[in-house]
Amino acid sequence: MAQSGKGKLNYRCPSCFMRDLDIDMFYDKDKEEYYCIRCCYSGKEEDIKAKNEMARFRYRSMRKRYTSFDS
Amino acid sequence: MEKLILNVIHRPEMVPEYAEKVTGHGKEEDISRESLLTESLDIFKTQQEIAHKNGLKTTIQMTYASLFNEEAVALAKEHHSVYGDEISLSLLGLPCEEFRNKYKTKDFCIWMFSMEDKKAIVKDVFEKFYEKFGFYPESTGSYYIDAELMNYIKEKYPTVKCAVATCWEEGPKAYHTCNNSWYTLFDGGPWNPWIPSKQNIHAPAANEQEDSGVVAIPHLSRDLMACFDGNGSNFGTHPQNVLRGMIYDSETWEYPYLYNLIDQYRNLAKYNKGYCYNMMFVGPGWMNKMGRWEAPYELLLKSYEDGMAYYGKLKEEGKLQEMTMSEFADHYRATHTYQQPECALWRDILYGSDKQYFWYADPYMRTCLDMNQGGAMIDLRPYVAKLEWPVGIGTKHIQDASYPFLIQANYRAGYFTHYAGEGTIKSLKVRYEGEEVDLCLCRTKAHYAGEGTKHIVTLDPVTVEFADLSVTIVSKFIFDEGSSKVEIVREVVDSSNPESKVEFNEYITACYGTTEYPEDMSHIILSVSNKDTKETLEYAYKCREGELEQAESVSAIIPEIETKVEILTEDSSQVGYYREGYAFSPMFTLGMKKEIQKGQVMRTWLSLEKVN
Repeated sequence: MAQSGKGKLNYRCPSCFMRDLDIDMFYDKDKEEYYCIRCCYSGKEEDIKAKNEMARFRYRSMRKRYTSFDS
Repeated sequence: MEKLILNVIHRPEMVPEYAEKVTGHGKEEDISRESLLTESLDIFKTQQEIAHKNGLKTTIQMTYASLFNEEAVALAKEHHSVYGDEISLSLLGLPCEEFRNKYKTKDFCIWMFSMEDKKAIVKDVFEKFYEKFGFYPESTGSYYIDAELMNYIKEKYPTVKCAVATCWEEGPKAYHTCNNSWYTLFDGGPWNPWIPSKQNIHAPAANEQEDSGVVAIPHLSRDLMACFDGNGSNFGTHPQNVLRGMIYDSETWEYPYLYNLIDQYRNLAKYNKGYCYNMMFVGPGWMNKMGRWEAPYELLLKSYEDGMAYYGKLKEEGKLQEMTMSEFADHYRATHTYQQPECALWRDILYGSDKQYFWYADPYMRTCLDMNQGGAMIDLRPYVAKLEWPVGIGTKHIQDASYPFLIQANYRAGYFTHYAGEGTIKSLKVRYEGEEVDLCLCRTKAHYAGEGTKHIVTLDPVTVEFADLSVTIVSKFIFDEGSSKVEIVREVVDSSNPESKVEFNEYITACYGTTEYPEDMSHIILSVSNKDTKETLEYAYKCREGELEQAESVSAIIPEIETKVEILTEDSSQVGYYREGYAFSPMFTLGMKKEIQKGQVMRTWLSLEKVN
């Protein structure tokens, strides 16, 4: 088995991202998946993208444009 | 509304942070790679072009490495001449072959070098700058500049009047986010420009004697809620940081949050005599052609273009005035006094919570009230101590440049603790016939009023419900410029039984530190006094308590941070108490108690003092 490398984009682990930890994933070309060396997450690009969408759950106002800053 | 004042800063960093790690993956480290140098300069050119296209002049902070690059020097001269950009000098971007050959180290953060090396590097960099431009710079900066270094720079190069001196709340949170490998541990500073004291860069000068001679600006304008609650690196006027936080629509590549953040800073004019400020400073590594994490280059570029375009639009509409750093320093000095605080009633613009914080900073303290916890104080830094805290190799604090806290409710628990013990917080407990309620559980909203030197935060009424009594309470916090005190007024404005009395317990639970981990409390001295008696206790983790009627003061002296924190009252009906902690709860609590009914008030002052 050859060593892993970076993918075409440098995806972070979505599981670690959700605990405020930015950690690059590495790409295993034999298994065709990215994996995290910090936790047990691994997944293909589509799964990472889906999890990144999930990570945005906390940003309930992400698409809102505020016009007033008084509560 | 007054205009938003903007500083846009660019630096030609020949070996951008991240770039070597990102572009060089799988290759042996080589910071002199031609492709790296070429790309770095291209990014700088792109950034400059975007700013100028939007009618914005910039401050060009030359890095040491760029002073060896004739093209970078020529560009700076040209842009100064054509666009009025200021040519400045950064202490970031030290890494280059010349630096490594000379100093024989891979260290690159100026504040972490030994003082001897700091002086040598400053001389080297400033003289190289002079050699290239024929004058000394009027501004400089880094992510952090310690007071000792700033004093040295000002002494040797008095032309310097402005400096990027810290990055707001870039401390343990940023360290953790970077897999415990990013040593920018400098929590506890002001979020907006200030005049640093000679003793400690975070603590604003109280007078001319303490004045370091420069106006400090923060690296970026940060979200005053998101950066306190979470990873500090995602929430600021740095478009690529917003992408880093994934705060954008992945389909449309829109990020209203960036504009909301800028606009909320504009809104701070309401609390600061019409003054409001923004700083944008994106290092070239963030516009790497390889992309950054999941964001491709096109999105990195778009976000920078959009950010600048928004500033450009505000300028066109007469709502923004950009300045170079030295221009800003002159403006700040002309419009601010030493005692003038920074106030910020800040609302959540990201999580949809309606949560509100009130931040206050002056030469004596920095503090934050959380309206989601009934106005509880969740952060307190005793700037009054002007703590001399040298950092760098050869000091006690090689990396830790944070200003110590007395309260940091996220690092040291706050209201909620697991199983046992207490956390750092300042709040009010209300007791009635065996029941007790802490205002930390009463969510409310705040309103600000400025009256002369007083900055008054009044909270909407909250109701505390007991089994057979309910009382409605209004809290008021009065910050008086120059007093080093916060006056706290609690009034029972309504009651289901006006004759019934409840007990108010105005308390502070505190400790000291700069991180999540406990410090040695053994040298702390707790006291309670009235006009006849003073009882004191030397902290020994023995869970002891002391109480005195008709109290005038209850206090703690914390020698390690040269600070005395005290609750004062002028009301002889109050009972003062202190409470020592224990090993599982390394805290102390100070409080005043009073029986109170409808129509009555309880008034106390939280006071901070320097002690040696």
